[in-house]
Amino acid sequence: MTNEEGKTAILSATDVRKWYGGFHALDGVSFTINEGEFVSIIGPNGAGKTTLINVLTGLVAPNTGTVVFKGRDISGIGPEKLSRMGMARSFQLVNVFPNFSVLEFLMVAVVSRLGKGTRLFSSLLRDKQITDGAMEVAHLFGLDAKKDMLAKNLPQGDKKMLDVASAFALHPEVILLDEPTSGVSTSDKNKIMETLVSASKQIGIKSILQVEHDMDLVFSYSDRVIALQAGKILADSTPALIEQDEEVVCTVMGKKECFKIFSSLQNKER
Amino acid sequence: MKNRQEIARLKSLKLPLVIVIGLVLLCVPLFAGQFFSYLMLTFFAYAITVIGFNLLFGYAGLLSFGHALFMAVGAYTAAFLTSTFALPYMELILVAAVIVSAILAALIGALCVRYIKIYFAMLTLAFGMLFYTFLLKFYYLTGGDEGMRVLRPYLLGIDFSGTPKMQFLAGTYYIYAFVILAILTFVMWKIVSSPFGLCLKAIRDNPEKAEYLGVSVKKYRWYAFVISAAYAAVGGALLAPAVGQVDPGLTYWTQSGTLVFMSLLGGFDYFFGPLIGGIVYILLQNSVMSLTSYWRFIFGAILVFVVIVAPGGIAGVIGSLVKRRERRD
Amino acid sequence: METILNILFSGVFHASTLFLVAAGLQVVFGVQKVFNLACGTFYGLGAYFGITVVKCLVEHNFPKALFIVPLIAAGLALGLVVGPIIERGLMKFVYDRDETFQLLLTFGLVMMLEDVIKFIWGTSPQSMGGIDMVYGQLNVLGATVPVYNLVVILCSLIIAGLISWLLMNTRFGRIIRATADKREMGEALGINMKVVYLKVFTLGTVLGTLGGALVVPAGAAVSEMGMDLIVLAFAVVVIGGLGSMKGAFVGALIVGVLKSLAISTYPEMEMLTIYIIVIAVLVIKPQGLFGGSRV
Repeated sequence: MTNEEGKTAILSATDVRKWYGGFHALDGVSFTINEGEFVSIIGPNGAGKTTLINVLTGLVAPNTGTVVFKGRDISGIGPEKLSRMGMARSFQLVNVFPNFSVLEFLMVAVVSRLGKGTRLFSSLLRDKQITDGAMEVAHLFGLDAKKDMLAKNLPQGDKKMLDVASAFALHPEVILLDEPTSGVSTSDKNKIMETLVSASKQIGIKSILQVEHDMDLVFSYSDRVIALQAGKILADSTPALIEQDEEVVCTVMGKKECFKIFSSLQNKER
Repeated sequence: MKNRQEIARLKSLKLPLVIVIGLVLLCVPLFAGQFFSYLMLTFFAYAITVIGFNLLFGYAGLLSFGHALFMAVGAYTAAFLTSTFALPYMELILVAAVIVSAILAALIGALCVRYIKIYFAMLTLAFGMLFYTFLLKFYYLTGGDEGMRVLRPYLLGIDFSGTPKMQFLAGTYYIYAFVILAILTFVMWKIVSSPFGLCLKAIRDNPEKAEYLGVSVKKYRWYAFVISAAYAAVGGALLAPAVGQVDPGLTYWTQSGTLVFMSLLGGFDYFFGPLIGGIVYILLQNSVMSLTSYWRFIFGAILVFVVIVAPGGIAGVIGSLVKRRERRD
Repeated sequence: METILNILFSGVFHASTLFLVAAGLQVVFGVQKVFNLACGTFYGLGAYFGITVVKCLVEHNFPKALFIVPLIAAGLALGLVVGPIIERGLMKFVYDRDETFQLLLTFGLVMMLEDVIKFIWGTSPQSMGGIDMVYGQLNVLGATVPVYNLVVILCSLIIAGLISWLLMNTRFGRIIRATADKREMGEALGINMKVVYLKVFTLGTVLGTLGGALVVPAGAAVSEMGMDLIVLAFAVVVIGGLGSMKGAFVGALIVGVLKSLAISTYPEMEMLTIYIIVIAVLVIKPQGLFGGSRV
């Protein structure tokens, strides 16, 4: 599975198409994610980013094309099996167990990772492996002080973190994050990204794929950027190259923003 | 940290309280009349049923409107073994009831757990009514609407046919049923505080997220369905010798409604809620029935009141009162 | 040939009242998303009330041949009174709750109303003493059919026609269809949903009470009739598809004819076949034959 550049492919999509009625949400998307990469997907609203995540996580089966994860076709396999194969995701909209405390929430993921869900008669709270596993992740995401708070009572930003943390608690090989910083204040965004990167190193996550709107974050943290537009891949390259691609930046960010960036670039060149 | 101490304090209070209440229940025949002991005996049977039912309803979030079916399975198992096959060994009856019920629940449950909410309720209701018509129409097997007689079983292999009926029921059989209730309550407590219990609650709160965390949603719902059916069968098997008679009314849809009623009345969010609901239901039914023959009206009104005003049930009301006091302190 | 016709006629007669109750269930479920277990009890109430009204009038020398007029009026009036009381008094508190609570509220209502019937009319069966025979019988291709049964079938068809006209051609109907598809739709359009819910629930109640009033001259009112009918109506809506009027119509025909077929051939199989069909439909096509709503 090692490709020509000496990298190991872990997740690849080949000519994936998904349409709803006459609307083509994905129109022939192909790419490969390699081990060790942090890849960002960018694109304007309606470009098909969330549909792509849904197809990659096996929630939605593509109409044509294949998605291969660790050498196995996973089209439409379903989220539960996929999580056991080593892929996890977080959601754009907050998706939590409202009546669970932070610790209980993370324990669900740890129980599932350890395959202990069918232990009917063993005590949950006396199982050090489970509680320690949950505490470890809570600590990585700075949630240890709030471990007994109910998810529904957490502030919005912490809910989002908890959702992401539960995906990390599965110790996946690949993690897909659908706008991990949306709805969070700009000042907190960098902090979240730092947390994500350090947590993934601690846990040993091989690759991260994220959908992100904030271009500063995209350009400063990603190894690679994939730009989507109208269900097609517009560009797939390094942040440095994408940043200079006027067409991509203008499509993704809108005319006004791109004028600002490029006029400043032009000023620098002068 | 304060929160933790409080929880620890409450927990340390809870266990002695449960033990004291348990001992009082055990000693009821010593200080109360035979009839009251008999009422408590029927409570034990319903308690086992609702505590199992609540694993499905309160913990997994699935409302079964046909759960009386499994209670009837247990009761008819007792009838068949004592009357038809002349095998009146209570332990055999219980084991057989659990096995028959679990097999039936495994088949029915495999179909039902594919649905949730109103569709799950409807499918279980249809199965309950299917069993009801089966019991009613195949009278050469089941005695039709007259039902079947249940003879007195041997307990631990000992024949008690010499003892007068009420003395047996309010004495030996009472203790026997109590011990089974105590064991099964403890087992259920273990189940809900296990990793499996946590996963069930996760499924109830947000099945989509649970699935993304690798929880086999349908499989766990199915387990819960089978476990709760086994509990209901034990409840039914214990109830049958106490009543001495079984009939198809045991599995009519309103009977399933009664089980839901008990859980809601006590508070299905709490482990002991359904037990509180069961005991209140049975005692209240007894006293209201002695006052008026229109007890269903009063119970309907109570149900409507609980649904609208106190959806958390009795345990919910107590819980919020306790919380309010703690806040004041 | 005669037996087949007899089975068919009694089946369709059965279906016509079943349709009314099931239509009441459907319209309430479609708009309010409440599965109203009390629909069967409304049917029972309508039957008893119809008997009382007709008996009272006949005692005061009301022409027997015209009894159907006060009968229908009684069914309508009862529904128009009981529906709003229950909707405003109880149902409105649980619209934003989980459907478990809504179902249980209607279950509580069943328990209460069943005892109200017992309190007012007692527990012994009541009938109109064969008043339906004033219209005589008709011989259709060798099968003898009471004319009254044909009248009931006709009434039911007229009501079915009226409902579909109401749904397709009036503003109220458009609101119902819009909210049945999407609950927020009505509010988004600036419609006063309070009034819509009141009207819809009353319509559902009226269909139940009217069904009970219409069926009772051909038989007798017994106290469990509501409890037994709700499970039949439940079978109808499951087979037809929850929330669908067309489904209620076809489902009622299927259940009605099957029931009368089973009664005259294998009585043991009567309800058994119906439940097996219900389970088969739920398992194979949970949205029912005509259901559009997703599971």
